[in-house]
Formats: sequence, structure tokens, C-alpha cells
Amino acid sequence: MSARHVHAVMAAGLANPHLIERWQQEPTLLREYGLSPADIDLPALWKFAGLAVKVRHNGLRGDLPWTFRLLNVLGLEADIFASYGSFLAKTGTSLGNSSEARAHDLCAFLEGWLDGENPGHCLLWDLIRHELALMQLCKTSTPDPFLQTLAPLDQGSPCAATVPRICGTIVLHAMRCDPQTVIAALRHVSPPLHTLPREPVHLCYWRQASTSDIQILHVDELGFYLLSCSDGSVSAADLSRRLVGGRRVAPNLLNGLAQLREAGILSFHNKAKKTAR
Amino acid sequence: MKYLSTPAGTTRIGLAYGPGIPEFVEAHPGLVDYIEIPFEQLRHSPLLRSLQESVPLVLHCASMSVAGFVPPADATIDAIALEAERMRTPWIGEHLAFVAADPLALPGVAPGSPTTLTYTVCPQLSEETVQQVVDNVALLQSRCTTPLILENPPQYFTVPGSTMTMVDFVNAVLSRCQVGLLLDLSHFLIAMLNTGADAHQEVTRLPLERVREIHISGLNTQSGIAWDDHATPAPAPVFELLELVLAHSRPLALTMEYNWSPNFPASILHAHITRVRHLLGTA
Repeated sequence: MSARHVHAVMAAGLANPHLIERWQQEPTLLREYGLSPADIDLPALWKFAGLAVKVRHNGLRGDLPWTFRLLNVLGLEADIFASYGSFLAKTGTSLGNSSEARAHDLCAFLEGWLDGENPGHCLLWDLIRHELALMQLCKTSTPDPFLQTLAPLDQGSPCAATVPRICGTIVLHAMRCDPQTVIAALRHVSPPLHTLPREPVHLCYWRQASTSDIQILHVDELGFYLLSCSDGSVSAADLSRRLVGGRRVAPNLLNGLAQLREAGILSFHNKAKKTAR
Repeated sequence: MKYLSTPAGTTRIGLAYGPGIPEFVEAHPGLVDYIEIPFEQLRHSPLLRSLQESVPLVLHCASMSVAGFVPPADATIDAIALEAERMRTPWIGEHLAFVAADPLALPGVAPGSPTTLTYTVCPQLSEETVQQVVDNVALLQSRCTTPLILENPPQYFTVPGSTMTMVDFVNAVLSRCQVGLLLDLSHFLIAMLNTGADAHQEVTRLPLERVREIHISGLNTQSGIAWDDHATPAPAPVFELLELVLAHSRPLALTMEYNWSPNFPASILHAHITRVRHLLGTA
């Protein structure tokens, strides 16, 4: 078996891991190049292609350190990056030019690849979104388009006409497990992942407009809903109508808005007083 | 500019270039003798040459495709030779592997351009490849005045058509080429684990007197295969191999390749350098 030809086959597969998958599924394709699947360890070749993809994501390790640690602990690096390599080759997608782009692309791929019923996969999905949120907020500037168009702050109690809006920038995630407890576990040499409490949490990652600090707030489902809808254009009446129907604004919704303003994450405006520019 | 001297009987300790490494070297004066830097990185970011104002550099390379059948472009070889001269590196460390291969074409179909990878691949371990390495090295040595040393590759699976073990392959190449050995102990352990060979027994079959430089790094096992991993510390078996090798040989340089992660703990880096210096008797 000519070394020159074997190198050509291996290089073709490594350059296009999707080709290796096709050789596994349709051995006649490989036989056309003079090799049978019995001649070559295709799963290992495929995973080697994944190692190269992993190395090309080393630039993310600074921003996603615990995600990489968890990948390693779960023994998922080879499978995930090999699958990702195949996906990139199959779809003709190039890796992003920036860390942010690569992180987002990897996360988007994982959303489809991970098994929501697999406990380890769930931890990974929570953790990468956690670190991605921090990465996103760290690198974001906080332009405030609404400040220019909204009326002065309304300091009174929230009412039907109140328009809440976020002070700064937030990212919201519903998690199956608190990522901060996962990180604490990962600090151990042998992380006790199986002992982690699997309790759904709603997290709000918040960077105030005036500071680079990022806070991670645990909110309840109502707070999560209010924050997810408080885009500076929807009134409390609208929020209530969407949530429970009816014309009367739910008192607990107004109470929730008041609490979020007290925490500093929301400011209130009056839609009726909006000034045109 | 700082240049590395490599007197016989002394082993210089270096780190592979990566995020945070120059800062670590600067923060620990006298601890690290040099930084090993890839030619490809310098080609992409020429400003990195300024590192040599504060620390000597050693040139590493992954572009020569020494064990391949598709040669690198003349311009690439010229650029490597020029970089080596400019840097005054004591040698160029290159992988005993390939990065480019013929295009894959079906019978009767016109082939396209060669397939070029961005990383090195363990070649078929055979007489055919050995002869190709001999020819390639002769050509490269006629173009580069800087000595060449060859690094054993990690072997993740048996390459089709292989007729030799990794050690037999390295021995065959070195017996027919005037080059030194860059013994990557993590690659070596990976190859031994993945082929079911006894690392301690096999390492002593290598021509250890030809070792000019040693690499150590981490590895991890996934899906039943041991993989190269520069983001984790070298495990105990790598240090055991190092002790074995040092009992037979005194390399001129030892490079720790902990260069995949900016989060690699400085404390471990420091501890491993100290451990290596202790093994070398230079603590």
C-alpha cells in the first residue's frame, strides 16, 4: 500500500471530516480510492480531525475556561470537536474571525448536538451559556438608544402606563443547574458532578451602564418574564395582558416591577410622555 | 538581541510560546532560558520577533513536511532558513510527519491542488517513507545552514501500510540522516499507549545519544485513545520516561509545551521547571 497514496487519503479525510463520516457510512466510496474500511481506523482518523478543530479553539480558553474543563472531565472533547469539524465541512462554514464569533458558533452547534436528556450534556449546555453571557457582557459597550427618546424617569409607583426598561445590558438564561455550583465542583481534582443539585434556576447577567462590573442575579419566573420583555417599548398593562389576559394589571406584576427597579436593574418611563426627536 | 548558547553537558530549559508565556518569563527572571516559537507564528505575526530583545528564541517548525511526498514551496523553505539565521537558533526542530499530500482524485478524474493541512500528521511507518524522509532531509539541508532536528510524532492509530513500530521508524531515519532527535516524551508515550507497546522498554531502544532537545506536555485519554494535550500538565509517566532518558543522555535543551491555555496555572509551570531542574541536577 503506497505511503504516498495513503497520505493522500488521510489528508483528504482530515481536511474534510465529513468525508470520513461518508466513508464510514458508504465503504464503497473509500474502496474507490483503493482502501477498505478495514485498512484504516476511520473513527480514530475522524477524532484526530476533531483534535485539530479543538486546537483552533484554544483562543476561547481564556473566556470559556470552565467549559473546556468540563469538556475534559466529561471526556467529550474528542466527540464534540470531531462532530463540529464534520458539521463545518458539510455546511462549508469557516471558523469565525474573532473569539466572540467562534464562541457563539460553537454554542449554536452545541444547542443542536447536545442531548437534553443526558445529565452531563445539560451541565455543559448551562456552563457554556453562563461563560458566554459573561464574555458577551465583558466585551459589550452599552449604547443606550432609548435614553434619547424616552421621557424623564418616572420615580412614582408603577402603574398601567409604566414602561420599564433595562438599566444597562442583560443576558437571561434558564438553567437546569446553577453554573456557579458546577464551577465550584470543577475546582476539585475529581469533580463531584454527580452530587450537584439539579434545580432549575433563572439567571440574569447584568452589566450596568455606568460600570464594567457584572452581577449575576437569581430571579423568579415572574422576574425572568418581566426582564425578558422590558425593552423600553412595552407598558406594564401590555406585560400583564400578555401574561394573564384581562384589562386590569396584575398587582403582583406591578410589585415585581417595583422590586426590580429597587434593585436598580429597571427604570420606569411613561410611554405617554415620550418625546419625539 | 538575546541568543541561546547550548554548551555540551548543559541542558537549557525553555517554554513553548503561547498566551501568557512571555509574561511568565518576564515575571520570573532567570527561571527560563529560552522560548521556543513556531516559524508559522512568526510568519503570521512578525512583531513577535521583538521577544528576542529580552529572551533567546529557538525555532520550531511544522511546514517542512519532512515525511511527506509533496514538498513545501521554495519560498517557505527560504523563509524558514532566513528566520533561523536571523534568530541564530541553535537548530530548527521539525516534525517527523507530513502536512501536505497529493490531492485525492478518482481514477480518470483530473487531480486538483495538493491537500495542505495546518497541522502535522504521523506518516505511514514504512521503508518507503523512511527513504522519502532521507531525500527530503538532504534537500532541506542543502537549503538551510542551520542544523535540523526531527521530532517523533504522536501516533493515534496504525497508519495503513505501516510495517514498522515508531521506534524502528525513528531509528531507521536517524541511521540514514545527519540530524539530531527532538524527543517529545508525551508524543512517545501517546504512541506507546495507542499501539500497546511498553514505553519504558521501547524508549531505551531509541538512539538517545542523538537527542538534542526534549519536549514534555500533557496528554489525555478520550474514546480509548491517548491524545496530545498542551493544556494539561505532563503526567507522572512522562516524568518517569524523562528520568529514564536522562540516565542515558544529556540533551542540550528541554522545552515544556504548556501553550494551549492562558489559564495554565503559573504555579504548576514553576513547579515543573523546578522539578526538571532537579532531575537535571541544576536546581
